[in-house]
Amino acid sequence: MSTVLTEQQNDLRDAVTDLMAKRSAEAQVRRLMADDSGHDTAVWAELAAMGLLGLTIPEEFGGAGAGATELAVVSEQMGRVLLCAPYLSTAVLTPYLLLALGDSSECAEALPRIAAGGLIATVALAEAGSARPPAHPVTSAVADGDRWTLTGEKTYVLDATIADRFYVQARSDSGTAMFAVDRGAPGLSVAPLTTVDQTRKQGRLTLSDTPARLIGGVGKAAAALESALDRAAVALIAEQAGGAMHAMRMAADYAGVRHQFGRAIGSFQAVKHMCVDMLLEAESASSAARHVAAAFDACEPDRLADLALAQGYCSDAFVFVAATNIQVHGGIGFTWEHPAHLYLRRARTDAQIFGDSNWHRERYVRLKEEN
Amino acid sequence: MTDVTDDGVRAEVRNWLAGNVDPAVGRAEWSRRVFDAGWSAPSWEPEWGGRGLSSAQSRIVAAEFADVGAYGTGADRADMLACTVRDLGTEEQKHRLIPPSVRGETRWCLLYSEPGAGSDLAGLRTRADRDGDDWIVNGQKVWTSFAKTADYGLLVARTGWDVPKHKGISFFIFPMRQPGVEIRPIHQITGESEFNEVFITDARVPHANLVGEPGGGWTVLQLALAYERRLMGDLARTAKSTRDLKPDADSLIGMARAAGVLGDAHVRQEIARAESLATVNRWNTQRAKTTTDRTEAATLMALGKIAMSRILHETARVQTEIVGPESMLTGSDNPVGDAVTFRTLNAYFTSIGGGTDQIQRNIVGERILGLPKEPEPYRETAFRDLPH
Repeated sequence: MSTVLTEQQNDLRDAVTDLMAKRSAEAQVRRLMADDSGHDTAVWAELAAMGLLGLTIPEEFGGAGAGATELAVVSEQMGRVLLCAPYLSTAVLTPYLLLALGDSSECAEALPRIAAGGLIATVALAEAGSARPPAHPVTSAVADGDRWTLTGEKTYVLDATIADRFYVQARSDSGTAMFAVDRGAPGLSVAPLTTVDQTRKQGRLTLSDTPARLIGGVGKAAAALESALDRAAVALIAEQAGGAMHAMRMAADYAGVRHQFGRAIGSFQAVKHMCVDMLLEAESASSAARHVAAAFDACEPDRLADLALAQGYCSDAFVFVAATNIQVHGGIGFTWEHPAHLYLRRARTDAQIFGDSNWHRERYVRLKEEN
Repeated sequence: MTDVTDDGVRAEVRNWLAGNVDPAVGRAEWSRRVFDAGWSAPSWEPEWGGRGLSSAQSRIVAAEFADVGAYGTGADRADMLACTVRDLGTEEQKHRLIPPSVRGETRWCLLYSEPGAGSDLAGLRTRADRDGDDWIVNGQKVWTSFAKTADYGLLVARTGWDVPKHKGISFFIFPMRQPGVEIRPIHQITGESEFNEVFITDARVPHANLVGEPGGGWTVLQLALAYERRLMGDLARTAKSTRDLKPDADSLIGMARAAGVLGDAHVRQEIARAESLATVNRWNTQRAKTTTDRTEAATLMALGKIAMSRILHETARVQTEIVGPESMLTGSDNPVGDAVTFRTLNAYFTSIGGGTDQIQRNIVGERILGLPKEPEPYRETAFRDLPH
């Protein structure tokens, strides 16, 4: 197993870095934060044209069939610039879920459209009280022959207001399962949530006898969701590492140019040491993200414990670095106009969206105990 | 450097060891054989006990020696006296000092830190005054390992008092076994005594043992310190590959289970937190070792010491939480408490020794992040005019 990038992977990173610099500068991020759709359809088409939307989708379904390492490379760059796009939900979580469910007709229908940029899809897995999938969903599924209807509420749904399709976890009499619900289905209402991080939109679904299609069979939802969340977490921690790296750099750059008392504030040890602590956290998060990606690609037996540990670590690291960046900036960092707070908002969301760091740490100890 | 392949080196050293390792051979004879064969310092020239191999090949030789339990190789990385003299000594010094040191016939220690010159080493006050062909040395050094068995001390002493502090220091190979050198062990907070204080009163060092120019000692010291840091990095890596890794991973869960607190949600969080520090540091080290980007490697290596301090302090803190009141007890009748307290106190060895965490943060901030240094108002002030 190696964390060294191949020439191809380096080229991929450079290409994504270039695109992000052009299409996700702060002005664009601010514009999309204020926009209900939360993304730029032209940029989305560009991502599709570059093969990034189908990055992890197998070639038979119109994608590039790339591994976790490529996904981490791309996600790190997106995280650096707070890209506003439904990438995590549509291009990462949904494909991994459909593949884990093993529903080949749904894969054949949805994945090529996702890869081409023609379908925005998301997963409705959480109910009130936890961002993780509930063991016993309240949302219920009722069968009438081949026809299913869903009733209940789902929340913390990524990119809900722009999604064409939702994959919804629900409980039937014979077990939990995933169901596809299309936008505009009868009895479905989608409401935006007011989020702290406006670069990552979320919504709430209310389903009332809403027609749905069963995907992958009853009883498969829990395992498939867990697998999809784990694989998608490889992207999330890479985003966190990228965001932390950028926030650290902002602080160090500012500390080198901002003068008080006749000297750059970075020459004061109190400030210098904060910057070094940020560097340690950002670099460590980056090592963790790369290691976990390589471990998934190599199917290392310890990869889930490594992921659990890394997810707890990267979540806290990004929050720490983003928060400390505000402190290093002082007064200007307390203003809305300065981008420092955007990273803290993103960091605090990323530290919850797939479960909080305590949840991941508990999972780590549980996995280690079983060994 | 020769164009021998790694496999060629491995085969040759194995073959040589097979033909020469003999329990009947005494220490001196063995060292001579190793030296003559060019295994003492494999990456150096034959006259200094080497055979012109690469640095990586020298490690291969060391690994082969270790495999059969043989000693006597690796002076090109571990012998600070020989490394320093080989680079900056005169021809006469090299011939007189390197071979016996590399063969282990003479031993050395380091006389750098002083009670008044720790983080600010250039503020040292041990003096050397020229007297004919000798220099007369007076002062006090601290944190010296192996002072009692050493023949020579690598000594930095002040020879110029009317120039700025960095410019008045000279570097000597100082004979330890003479009147006027008094060695006292330092009792550490752990109860151990690995280090000594060395009191020097009117002791002599021949002018012939001055390395570099009078007043040029700071430059020589930087080189010697670079070799020392490289050696410490080597030792840290060796330690990691053998036993330092596992205890961190296993013992916290094992210790908590034994103490009956593994079910405690708070303890479980603390265990995961401490283990994540150790694990991400391991991943940092792996990345540093495998990357081809030199800046990336340098950044990660520079952070390693700060990270290790935190790992040791945090792990000891979590162990304290796990064992609870046992941590009040020590001694052989309380092995668990004793071990936890030892780790708690010994963590300072890393967070203070070899440059405090705070100095290390200054270095990383300046060299890696490019942040400006603190203004140095006394940069051009003669040492004798400094406030103290």
